[in-house]
Amino acid sequence: MRQAGAYSGILSGRISKTGPHSLPLARIKKIMKKSSDDVKMISGEAPIIFSKACELFIEELTKRAWIMTMQGKRRTLNKEDVASAVIATDIFDFLVNLVTESNVADNKCEVNEDSQVIVEI
Amino acid sequence: MEVDEHVKLVPIANVGRIMKQILPPTAKISKEAKETIQECASEFIGFVTGEASDKCHKENRRTVNGDDICWALSSLGFDNYAEAMLRYLYKLREFERQRANQTKGSNDEDTDHEAASESENQDITTT
Repeated sequence: MRQAGAYSGILSGRISKTGPHSLPLARIKKIMKKSSDDVKMISGEAPIIFSKACELFIEELTKRAWIMTMQGKRRTLNKEDVASAVIATDIFDFLVNLVTESNVADNKCEVNEDSQVIVEI
Repeated sequence: MEVDEHVKLVPIANVGRIMKQILPPTAKISKEAKETIQECASEFIGFVTGEASDKCHKENRRTVNGDDICWALSSLGFDNYAEAMLRYLYKLREFERQRANQTKGSNDEDTDHEAASESENQDITTT
């Protein structure tokens, strides 16, 4: 859908180091530093790359969640749609615990005693 | 918005705006969905940074740079992001090179096309 727009924005040179980015660089830097004790120094360009990469990530997760919303014939994208999208996408495996820990009562997916995620279709 | 000092999250306003831009105009987004994606995005940054940081550590380098982020994206399965980010990184470094040349005294208007397109940039930073 908008993927072409995001990429052509990048390719058309819409770049500014000091100008606006989708996500605040200082906050990104803080998140990076907190991620691990090993992270000592971060180059100036790393948060700028993340600002864009994160935007692409949010766009992809949102699009995939919206597919779930449409399958449910709804117009409001809800938390369960996000969880379903995460579970349905291999590269989002690192998020499974994050979206299911508060979703035990959800009727779309649950985690059994072996920490396996069971999805109801 | 998360107020826990131990957990840093990307601002929910930014998340909401990116989501709105990609969805049809009549779509609605629940507050919980926005919060969930906010958490996922923050986790994404930590996850990729960890991978990039491991690589730097193994190679005895102290600074995580843009190339490391691109490598980590590819390593973790985000090949399409890695490709796009490498192109972005290339343009970014080109931009920086041109800026550095400008401040050295060469005021070539032709190299200002990057600056001109900045004014067309619709992104708004909120902190």
